[in-house]
Amino acid sequence: MPLIIKDEYPKKLFREDGKRLDGRSEKELRPIKMEVGVIQNADGSAYLEWGNNKIYAAVYGPREVHPHHLAKPDRGVLRVFYRMATFSVFDRKRPAPGRREKEISMIVADCIEPVLFLELYPGTSFEVFIEVLDADGGTRCASTTVAALALADAGIPMKSLVSAVAVGKIDGKKVVDLSGIEDKAGDADLPIAITWYNEEVSLLQFDGDMDLSEMNDFLSDAKEALESIHKTQLNVLKSKYLKLQEETKTNKEKESKKGDE
Amino acid sequence: MEENEEPVDNDFEDFEEDDASRDVVVPGEVLTEDVKNFLPGRGTILNKEKNKIISLNIGLKQIKKNYINVIPLRGFYTPRPGDKVIALVVDKNPVKYKCDINSKDFGQLKPKNTIKRGRTRGFRGGDVDREETGTERFDIGDILIVKVLSADRLNKPELTTVGKYLGKKSGGIVITIDPPKIPRVIGRNGSMIKMLKSLTGCNIFVTQNGRIWLKGEDIAHERLLIESIHKIASEAHTVGLTDRMQEFIINEKKKRGIE
Amino acid sequence: MMDIKRIISKIERDYIISNLKKEERIDGRGLWEYREFQIKSDIIASAEGSADVSLGDTKIITGLKYEVGEPFPDLPDEGVCTVMAELLPLASPLFERGPPDEQSIELARVVDRGIRHADCVQTKNLCIKEREAVYILFVDMYVINYSGNLIDAGGVSALTTLISAHIPEGVWNSDKGETDWTGKYITGETLVKELPFVVTYGKIDDIIFLDPSLPEELVCDGKISISVTEEKITSIQKSGAATFSIDEIKTLGKKSLEIGKKLRKDLNLLQYLSKID
Repeated sequence: MPLIIKDEYPKKLFREDGKRLDGRSEKELRPIKMEVGVIQNADGSAYLEWGNNKIYAAVYGPREVHPHHLAKPDRGVLRVFYRMATFSVFDRKRPAPGRREKEISMIVADCIEPVLFLELYPGTSFEVFIEVLDADGGTRCASTTVAALALADAGIPMKSLVSAVAVGKIDGKKVVDLSGIEDKAGDADLPIAITWYNEEVSLLQFDGDMDLSEMNDFLSDAKEALESIHKTQLNVLKSKYLKLQEETKTNKEKESKKGDE
Repeated sequence: MEENEEPVDNDFEDFEEDDASRDVVVPGEVLTEDVKNFLPGRGTILNKEKNKIISLNIGLKQIKKNYINVIPLRGFYTPRPGDKVIALVVDKNPVKYKCDINSKDFGQLKPKNTIKRGRTRGFRGGDVDREETGTERFDIGDILIVKVLSADRLNKPELTTVGKYLGKKSGGIVITIDPPKIPRVIGRNGSMIKMLKSLTGCNIFVTQNGRIWLKGEDIAHERLLIESIHKIASEAHTVGLTDRMQEFIINEKKKRGIE
Repeated sequence: MMDIKRIISKIERDYIISNLKKEERIDGRGLWEYREFQIKSDIIASAEGSADVSLGDTKIITGLKYEVGEPFPDLPDEGVCTVMAELLPLASPLFERGPPDEQSIELARVVDRGIRHADCVQTKNLCIKEREAVYILFVDMYVINYSGNLIDAGGVSALTTLISAHIPEGVWNSDKGETDWTGKYITGETLVKELPFVVTYGKIDDIIFLDPSLPEELVCDGKISISVTEEKITSIQKSGAATFSIDEIKTLGKKSLEIGKKLRKDLNLLQYLSKID
């Protein structure tokens, strides 16, 4: 049933003051907030807010493969299930997974697999469930980023984390981290992910048009942005442990001071 | 018939209490580039160019002799021969029990591994080799303390209830914590678990698969013990934990009005 | 690692039952006490109303979307409000992927009936043009972590979502034969009249207790959910193989009205009314 109010695209994607519609400069990332250990039942979990994107990721594994015929005798199986809630988008989405979700599930799985040691876990499965509760552009990149955190939270050995971001072109100008509107109304969109252990690209898609020098720029702008995202991921993983270490250390110092008095 | 935890040969040294806090490291973090003097130990790997040692887990960095190790703070249980674990019987057929041991595979318990051999007197007084042939001894839903006999890539882990402190448990309750935190609940030379037992008056049996059986004089003591164990697990990476936990339990007992 | 098993150990079952007989529960609650509710509203930018509700460790995130469409022929001047629920596999190793199963359908239907029969949603206020255009509201609940008693958490989540609503206001343009948008919003003020709460009890042997936690729910013989408004009982659902005596049902009916009153006061859900006009 079509909605009466149209999800209308603005004519210009830059403001009078030269900033993007949400106030950002060209290379600026949206605010990113992440947390791990948010779903008690899961073996590992993480939550991410990236601009208006709100995404949960939960990892279950290693565990038995269901259905059994998908099990591999020589290595474990990584399966990613990317899903969007009905209310995560402007036009209510049908509850059942569509083709786009299945495609993204596969892309995210392929992107993350290089950092895992699946050959150590034959006959088992690692399942990553991603639920997008609020979507605003770049959900496959945000999903990859939060899925990597959830896997680390599960204590699954990884060669490194994976980070992803979408770069692109809007109104002829190159930008980093496209929002929903910029993605829909823009000229080009390039989601990309890097696995940090070898600093190589493990997710890459492109829609639009670009020449070779533009592609070079896209790739180097992306690398810079990805490094910043990686830092955030690492801080999130460490912070809850560091915080406790700090708190208990200060108390211990207070105790020994008391003892001296 | 509750048995106390006997001294367990464990990885306690991993959570040894130093005065210095250990570094928290994450997957992909470079632990050292001095590959001449250090070797990659547990939880680490040499990179492809062989010029860096990298952490594979989120954990604590540890240097032991010339090995760099990472003691994981999160992780799942992998059965190793000799491990004592708490198993839940989830299924059985006439020739074996299927047991949930909190790992990716179910464990198998065969009848021959549930009874001591050759110790029963036969009809005419001579020793008889009595073999347990059926699976009547245990039921679905039973909690057993078992030992892992074997575990490899091709076969499901084999278990046994024959041995000291092994067998079916009755009464009490079983809780589960993150398996890597188990050494911390035991403590150096059992210091943490001894303190927990004496202060809460509970019997405790800690096993390698993250499961802990406990039983106290009443639910108030058991509840305090359970909360204490979860607190130990979440603060496992900090220093001065045993003393802090002692203080915590003493204070809570006062607050809750229990002895 | 959470150790949720399909088979519950005898030890666990005995522990829960023997303590319940002494009116003790593992988390220290009394038999008629709720775990803590934590509520956040209007957290989803893409939705026209939303709520993130936790009851203990059970967490449900709900969102509201709307469409404009034709009414049901037998209710030509009323809008429609439908409730759906998904038990996401990320919420528990016990949940499988796939279309909604019995458990999620039961959750959706019990919450739906509690709302519907309480005259909660004012569907007459959702009519743009009789027989032509009415609002169709979709209240979709997603279970993020399952730790017992999805129904009560779902009920509060759905109700808070409706209260937090900010739906674009439409008026009928008879010349064009379509809906025009005034630029204003329909809020929970117009949408929600009654505040029903659904109260769920578990039963093990002959002991009944409020708000089953996960181990209690996995062990219990049955449950009963009773929806109440300030004065009336509006919906009941018994599930599981346990049986309840007539006296027990009467007691629970009375208790539910009391518990509902207290919950209504404590949670004060009207504070989540949307501030947009």
